[in-house]
Amino acid sequence: MKDIARQQMSIKVESMDMLNAQIQMEGRASASYLAMASWCDQRGYNQSAGFMYKQAAEEREHMMKIFKFVNDCGGNAISPAIESTNHDFSSLEEVFETALSQEIDVTKSINRIVAAAKKNSDFGVENFLQWFITEQLEEEKTMRDILDLFEIMGRDGIALKLIDERISVE
Amino acid sequence: MFPMERINSSHYYTFFQSDKERCFYIDLGQKLVRLSFCQLLALRQKVWSINIEDHFDEDANPHGFEIVSLCNREHLFILNTLEVLDLKELLTGAFFLLDIAAQTPSLTSRA
Repeated sequence: MKDIARQQMSIKVESMDMLNAQIQMEGRASASYLAMASWCDQRGYNQSAGFMYKQAAEEREHMMKIFKFVNDCGGNAISPAIESTNHDFSSLEEVFETALSQEIDVTKSINRIVAAAKKNSDFGVENFLQWFITEQLEEEKTMRDILDLFEIMGRDGIALKLIDERISVE
Repeated sequence: MFPMERINSSHYYTFFQSDKERCFYIDLGQKLVRLSFCQLLALRQKVWSINIEDHFDEDANPHGFEIVSLCNREHLFILNTLEVLDLKELLTGAFFLLDIAAQTPSLTSRA
């Protein structure tokens, strides 16, 4: 009997399912950053808004990277449906705290896929996700560094404006 | 039709592979459906996304039926709870035997 299915797809179906769930997660993260950008924009935190717009675009890029990988491997990439994005934040600090916990969730999810790929000897997937592991370390560090500014500079009045001016959009 | 090899059978359905046509067939009782590999993946996705718990919830799915379209809406099937579960089992086994599933497939992983 010919190995038709294996000839058509290079990755395990379990990996494909997990990568599709990751596509969904990255899509949700992108939408969430967009909501944060809107919140910042409306309150005059222009640098933070710019930063969040950039993050939204980055998360979408991540999503597209995984999407393309699944299809390139012969799998069935599923376009994500994004539901109920939170637009309510009580402070600029909460915006960045939410961003950090979102990044931590993404890191955990990537780690779970890598662990499963390793267990299933799906080394192509494991190799593909190495870039994401490095990327997530950077993302978490960026958010932590910004949250440190609140500790150093305070949380009231002019401090918030000064923090916003220090947020790099590059 | 070219000769086919039986890959897996469940209570109601049988899954075949045709080497010559490089495709798959599922005997769904009333109908023999031909599927390319990507159509097979799409069917799997559809069947996996069915929330079987809804079948036991009067409000979510009062009649306990699912309408499943196959091969870009070329075929339409109405399945009851047992048939949905059986189709899930058929596909889980088939993917395992086709050697593109992990060592320990789980029926409940996406149910």
